[in-house]
Amino acid sequence: MIKIENLEKVYKTEEVETTALNGINMHVKAGEFVSIMGPSGCGKSTLLNVMGLLDKPESGSYKFLETELLTMNDKERSNFRKRNMGFVFQNFNLIDELTVFENIELPLIYNKVAAPERKRLVNEMIERMNIVNRSGHFPQQLSGGQQQRVAVARALVTKPKLVLADEPTGNLDSSHGNEVMELLCELNEQGTTIVMVTHSSHDASFSNRIINLKDGHVISEKINKTRSEELI
Amino acid sequence: MFKLNLKITLRNLWRNKTSSLINISGLAIGLASCLMLMLYVSYERSYDNHGKDAGQVYKVMTNFLDINKRIESTGGLTGNMIGPALKEDYPAVKAMSRYEWGGPKLIANGTKSFKKSGRFADADILNVFDYTFVSGNQKTALNEPNNVIVTESTAKLLFGTTDVLNKTVRFENKISLKITGVVKDIPGNSSVYFDFLMPWSLYQTQFDWVKEPAWTNFNWSTVVKLDPSTDIAQFNKEIKGLMEKKRPDSRAFVFVYPFNKLHLNGTFVNGKSIGGKIEEVRLFMGLGIGILLIACVNFMNMATAKSERRAKEVGIKKTIGATRGSLISQFLMESLVLTFCSAIMAIVIIELALPLFNNLLGIELGVSYSNAQLWAGLISVVLLTGLIAGSYPAFYLSSFNPVQILRKKGGKSQGQLISLRQLLVIGQFSFAVILIIATTVIYEQIQYIKNRPVGYKVDELVEMEQDGDLFDKFEVLKAKLLQSGAIISMAQSSTSMTKDGSNFTGMEWKGSTDADKLFTFNQIATTYDFIKTTGVKLLEGREFSTQFASDTAAVMVSRSAVKRMNLVNPVGQIVVFHGEKRTIVGVFDDFIWGSPAQVDRPMVIGFFQGWGGTVIMRLNPANAPVANLALIEKITKEVNPAYPVEVNYVDRLYAGKLNAQRILGVLANLFGGLAIFISCLGLFGLAAFSAEQRTKEIGVRKVLGASVGSLMQLLSLSFLKMVMIAILIGIPIANYIMNGWLRNFEIHTTINWLIIFLVAASTLGIALITVSLQTYKAAKTNPVQALKYE
Repeated sequence: MIKIENLEKVYKTEEVETTALNGINMHVKAGEFVSIMGPSGCGKSTLLNVMGLLDKPESGSYKFLETELLTMNDKERSNFRKRNMGFVFQNFNLIDELTVFENIELPLIYNKVAAPERKRLVNEMIERMNIVNRSGHFPQQLSGGQQQRVAVARALVTKPKLVLADEPTGNLDSSHGNEVMELLCELNEQGTTIVMVTHSSHDASFSNRIINLKDGHVISEKINKTRSEELI
Repeated sequence: MFKLNLKITLRNLWRNKTSSLINISGLAIGLASCLMLMLYVSYERSYDNHGKDAGQVYKVMTNFLDINKRIESTGGLTGNMIGPALKEDYPAVKAMSRYEWGGPKLIANGTKSFKKSGRFADADILNVFDYTFVSGNQKTALNEPNNVIVTESTAKLLFGTTDVLNKTVRFENKISLKITGVVKDIPGNSSVYFDFLMPWSLYQTQFDWVKEPAWTNFNWSTVVKLDPSTDIAQFNKEIKGLMEKKRPDSRAFVFVYPFNKLHLNGTFVNGKSIGGKIEEVRLFMGLGIGILLIACVNFMNMATAKSERRAKEVGIKKTIGATRGSLISQFLMESLVLTFCSAIMAIVIIELALPLFNNLLGIELGVSYSNAQLWAGLISVVLLTGLIAGSYPAFYLSSFNPVQILRKKGGKSQGQLISLRQLLVIGQFSFAVILIIATTVIYEQIQYIKNRPVGYKVDELVEMEQDGDLFDKFEVLKAKLLQSGAIISMAQSSTSMTKDGSNFTGMEWKGSTDADKLFTFNQIATTYDFIKTTGVKLLEGREFSTQFASDTAAVMVSRSAVKRMNLVNPVGQIVVFHGEKRTIVGVFDDFIWGSPAQVDRPMVIGFFQGWGGTVIMRLNPANAPVANLALIEKITKEVNPAYPVEVNYVDRLYAGKLNAQRILGVLANLFGGLAIFISCLGLFGLAAFSAEQRTKEIGVRKVLGASVGSLMQLLSLSFLKMVMIAILIGIPIANYIMNGWLRNFEIHTTINWLIIFLVAASTLGIALITVSLQTYKAAKTNPVQALKYE
């Protein structure tokens, strides 16, 4: 589904140039659950941002279902993103002024889904995430695990082809973290492609494949046998 | 989406209650001030602009020439012949009316008598101005000499009803007039105001001198209504020679000027209007817009200061798929919601404050909520304010890069942003400083001219008009009043002690030239005891006395008149005054007759038995003033029963002369104070946010041993620097503007640097207190809490 070739990204400040991505080549198949691991500063978050069209690399190619994305302008990228991708962040990034229901509804509004349809989709999602009795609450009133479930719900409500998760368990204790990881696995089993950046090898063990980055290079790739049988 | 954005807006407002309140109330005060000043401006701008044909009405103005045929001055008065001549000879003139000054005149229904503003005018005036007739026939209402038109208020005052057609009223206790028309009250912003209107034909039967054809007796006003197609420049060219043709010696020519522009543009130089009251109106417009801008700056500053909190929302929305446009419209809508709340609050403020404001200005401003124009104006001001105030935050916030915000917990593209915010604060405070300095200079100037020696003894001095029988029975009244002990002295005078406006030319003296004949002197006509009553200082000679029969042909001259005439030993010299040879019997010191801010012309006081108008009396200091006044009223009523007695204290009349400056002072004070208040509100909010942003830094510093004092210094200094820069910018600008303003007055104070220093210090002090309130709170917080916050 995704094919990335020779991706390069350099951060420039007045004094130093930092090469974040230094000729990355990778691919993701439809239905895969890929973890990207590596030490701090290896470029994994930059890679995720490029994949999510939030950041632009200097050179390289990024094909998504045979469409080249890097030549798109801002508007096209924004449109492509909202139709095909969902995001889950480490610090949840829910909007504090909106209720659980409204937070989940937001991407549908940007996708111009009609109101009754929106209501149906959001309620379906809320049920699936097991947060029915929380739908009128504000994010501050929820536990971290619940907040992250809302964030996942929001990422999935548009039925994206690709979910990008940036350390989704980073701010959670281990039991809530496991809950979220199980949720992601479940989604993956239902067919959603997931790319996740993580520090935790425990979390990575839930995925099909682990890509290790260092200094902007892919240094190794490992198939996770326990979870990749059905794919290969 | 709109609904959701509205929800975010309202929930945000609710969550930050303090800052929302600061924002909304600051903007509301700004809007209310602006709208109030705009009401005043529109009141002034609509002066004489009533009725659909107001644009076709012109006033006949006179340009006076000097001996070299250059325009010396321009006046609004004409003789009584120019109007009829224009009407007869120029087809463009559709209607014409002369009118006299319309002073208080006696009107009575039986024993109910009142002095109201009565005006004589040609019957054609009903075709010049657009009066709304409640009853009566506009075409014939002033056709007969015994007709009178009354306003609704006058009708109610006299009869208790407006159904008064064909009823009879008594005029000046002499003639009966038939009410032939009732019109709606004349708006306060009309130059030709009246409570009752009488025909010119009656005027002519009352005074012989009015009947006499006059071209150069400039006593009346003339207005014409011209055909809408008239080319005014061409028309003025055609009528330019008219005066000279009729009276070759007149040294004057007439022109017409749009009547509805005259009130604001009444200052003429070289026969051209160079402004006038319009400058004051512009000043108030500037003031209103300035205050509103200060409030808008607050708004922008608060919104950008909050950007860190909002950045996350922007980042999330952008990742999920919001376009920049949708974010811009969201933030603009937010600011419109706030402005809308402010507008509602502003209307409440206006409703509460308008009566006070009216009282201050002595005018009648009102908000008519049924007026569509008003709503259109209000809505456009609100929209514009919302857009201006919201545009910067909208474009700034929506430009955040989602990756940076969501990664780093907050957008920190500071450098430039801070400098813009600082710039706005500096601008805001500069404006406030200018206003405060302006206020103090105006106040000083008022004090300065107030403290000028008047030149006569104003205390215990009273005046009343010499009405009805008070002319013929003046001596009777004087004897009775003196005998009663209410007064110790009394004199007849042609005008009030506080109203200038009577002057003459043609004075001749020993050694005077032809050019000297054109010099204008002020004049007062009186009989005996003028000096004794008023307390004007006699420098040489004596005042008119019954012991010298020859004093009926005498004059007294002022010190400056002696100087102008270059007379040595003036007493006893012969001068020609109003074509008569007269002897100077006394020299008196100059006193303030006209505006206390102006130098009066040299004055001649002449003896004229029949030329009265005002009775001046000095109260007996041995009695209580109230008792004196009661006695005066009782005795005057006995002598002159038909007229109500109205006695005025001269010191109050004198104080009234400073009214325009007083109003200006009060307005500058009020709105200058508001400007400072709104600016401080903004500073308060900014300090709060800055303290909040630096919570962690404060915590770390405290853990490392910083004292509360040093932390307050750290937090306050950057704000105080901005205020200091604002003061440095504001002072020279204010100095320049106010020096210009002071130059409008012939007699003026100079700007006192001590006061400017005090203004600077107090501005800084107020800002310091405002900021300290916040920084103290921040510096006192427990460092553990501050650090846990992360």
